[in-house]
Amino acid sequence: MSGGLPQRATGQRRRRRIEEDTAVAQPSSHSTPSAAAEATDHLQGQSASFAPDLSLVEHRHAAENGANYEYLDHPADVQLHAWGSTLEVAFEGAALAMYNYMTPLSGLTPDTGLARTFHAEAHDLHSLLFGFLDELLFVFSTELLVCCSLTVTHLDREKWTITAEGQGEKFDRQRHAIGTEIKAITYSAMQIREVPGDAEVFVIVDI
Amino acid sequence: MGRSFDEEAKFIEQKGVVEYVIRQGFVPNMRVPAHFYVNDKLKHLVFEELQQFCARGDVGGFLPAVKQLCNVAGLPGIVEKSIALPDMHSGYGFAIGNVAAFDMDDPEAVVSPGGVGFDINCGVRLLRTNLTEADVDSKKEELAQALFDHIPVGVGSQGIIPTTAKDLEDALEMGMDWSLREGYAWAEDKEHCEEYGRLLSADPTKVSQRAKKRGLSQMGTLGAGNHYAEIQVVDEIFDKHAARKMGIDRIGQVCLMIHSGSRGLGHQVATDALTQMESAMARDNIATNDRQLACARILSREGQDYLAAMAAAANYAFVNRQSMTFLARQAFAKVFGRSPDDLDMHVVYDVSHNIAKVEEHMVEGKLKRLLVHRKGATRAFPPHHPLIPVDYQLTGQPVLIGGTMGTCSYVLTGTERGMAETFGSTCHGAGRAQSRNKSRNKLGYEQVLEALKTRGIAIRVASPKLVMEEAPESYKDVTAVVDTCHQAGISRKCVKLRPIGVVKG
Repeated sequence: MSGGLPQRATGQRRRRRIEEDTAVAQPSSHSTPSAAAEATDHLQGQSASFAPDLSLVEHRHAAENGANYEYLDHPADVQLHAWGSTLEVAFEGAALAMYNYMTPLSGLTPDTGLARTFHAEAHDLHSLLFGFLDELLFVFSTELLVCCSLTVTHLDREKWTITAEGQGEKFDRQRHAIGTEIKAITYSAMQIREVPGDAEVFVIVDI
Repeated sequence: MGRSFDEEAKFIEQKGVVEYVIRQGFVPNMRVPAHFYVNDKLKHLVFEELQQFCARGDVGGFLPAVKQLCNVAGLPGIVEKSIALPDMHSGYGFAIGNVAAFDMDDPEAVVSPGGVGFDINCGVRLLRTNLTEADVDSKKEELAQALFDHIPVGVGSQGIIPTTAKDLEDALEMGMDWSLREGYAWAEDKEHCEEYGRLLSADPTKVSQRAKKRGLSQMGTLGAGNHYAEIQVVDEIFDKHAARKMGIDRIGQVCLMIHSGSRGLGHQVATDALTQMESAMARDNIATNDRQLACARILSREGQDYLAAMAAAANYAFVNRQSMTFLARQAFAKVFGRSPDDLDMHVVYDVSHNIAKVEEHMVEGKLKRLLVHRKGATRAFPPHHPLIPVDYQLTGQPVLIGGTMGTCSYVLTGTERGMAETFGSTCHGAGRAQSRNKSRNKLGYEQVLEALKTRGIAIRVASPKLVMEEAPESYKDVTAVVDTCHQAGISRKCVKLRPIGVVKG
């Protein structure tokens, strides 16, 4: 799988600034997105905000092609881990991580005619993430729309609403690689962590 | 958090050869202790999950099954103990393999969608045939292909049985009675299903439009993940008498196993309920250790609405398995040029392993009405129980245990001891042992397919990625799981089945 990521010195933690990194939106349409991400990474490597656990794979080390998400070990389901400079970017990462599990995003060509606005409402931050991903999953289940790029345009922390613009393609079993079906979003071990300049989310989805 | 593994392990005591007890205090607010069943082969998997949890600390990670089991022991109205069966592993909210019963006469008692799971009435159905392995051997590939062509599988697949919005409403209300009316079922099919293929408490008006929209196009689809249709042959018969009652009387007899659930409709019903119950919990002052354990008092509006919607979703799952039974019968008929009737393709039984039901059980010598949640656990009622079909009154309820792709599956029967110890429940399958990531990183696609081929198993799969994730190596040894239940006396081994053809998403 991801394989060739270089070893990181102990105490260093991977941080990715991704606003300029379009590779996030289209993981493999760029020839060397991974190298570009690596370069930014080295420049911006910062010391750990908490001690890494040596017996386990360090977080943010399993991302592929410079994406801002990865899949963490879970016995039955899949834990999505996404991060970014802001919470919006981390939410976008979680959304793409979910789509990428259904079908590899690299196989999609965005159809501008299928641009779509998603909207969700909730009563706190966790339920907002839950509601947001549930809305995307619902649209996929009923319209088969898979997004390969997605931007959170509005995230209101007072009214707990979120709006995102997505672009993608209608999933076609003849043309697209068939991944795994995601049944539902869960609150199980859900975490949303924010520090100035960095945000990350952990979501377990049921498959 | 914060306790070391050794400190955590002190709360767990071995009580019998295959039974362990977790004392109160392992997590906060436990009302009753937790019990789990594992033999020496499976034990390390349970403890490894806990060990990993202690090592990970508080960033990311997930709760191990033993912690989840104990969080359930803290829910209001829980009776006697929170139970986990040998196929247990970490899930969301409840552990997978978790059984918990709540007192219907306790006004505080709750129902939790987390105790049913997202795939409401996910279950297993077994059909028998009068074919033998020799009859099928030369047509194995053709048969697997025919099943694959007839049954829509995998992500984004759509049902081929015409279903209108009105049909869906009727199916949600009537379950297999709808299938029978529409000509997709034989009259005797429903006799051999849990609840006769219809939960009478279903109310389709409690199912959201969102859920119905997801369910409409997916009726009669297998799904993905660990769902499958498998052509199997009888490999070993442990209980001749019981097997004969099921129409299984010789080694090499061909059967068909279908493992599927309520598809997007059930998933959405559970998601909707989770969201609604969150506000009910604040109103009724219910606190839980885990947000995924959202629950509502059984008698509250939210609780009643969920139970009615859950029953409707369960009916959808019965219809779904029935629709695939119909399609599979067509596939067999096509390949063998004989009618399904002529092939004796009767339903042996149909079990649900993700459900909550109101049942009567003896608690401390008194008969009580309980709401029994079984999440990744199968009902296993003993002989003479009034709720099992006439044909199985003397043998006990058949329990269908789907193994993993390419290993084996089992038919068990329910026992009196299970009725007394585990609210009439036993295991449901192999249960995962290894994460999906590890399976994908360790095993190759070709490697797994080759291994199946050398064992003479025809395979048709929509997604190669799944082959690795669902490889036998990713699961516990199903034989160790059923042996543990047999040893504990909560179910008896009856028949062992071995796959010769697999169709999956």
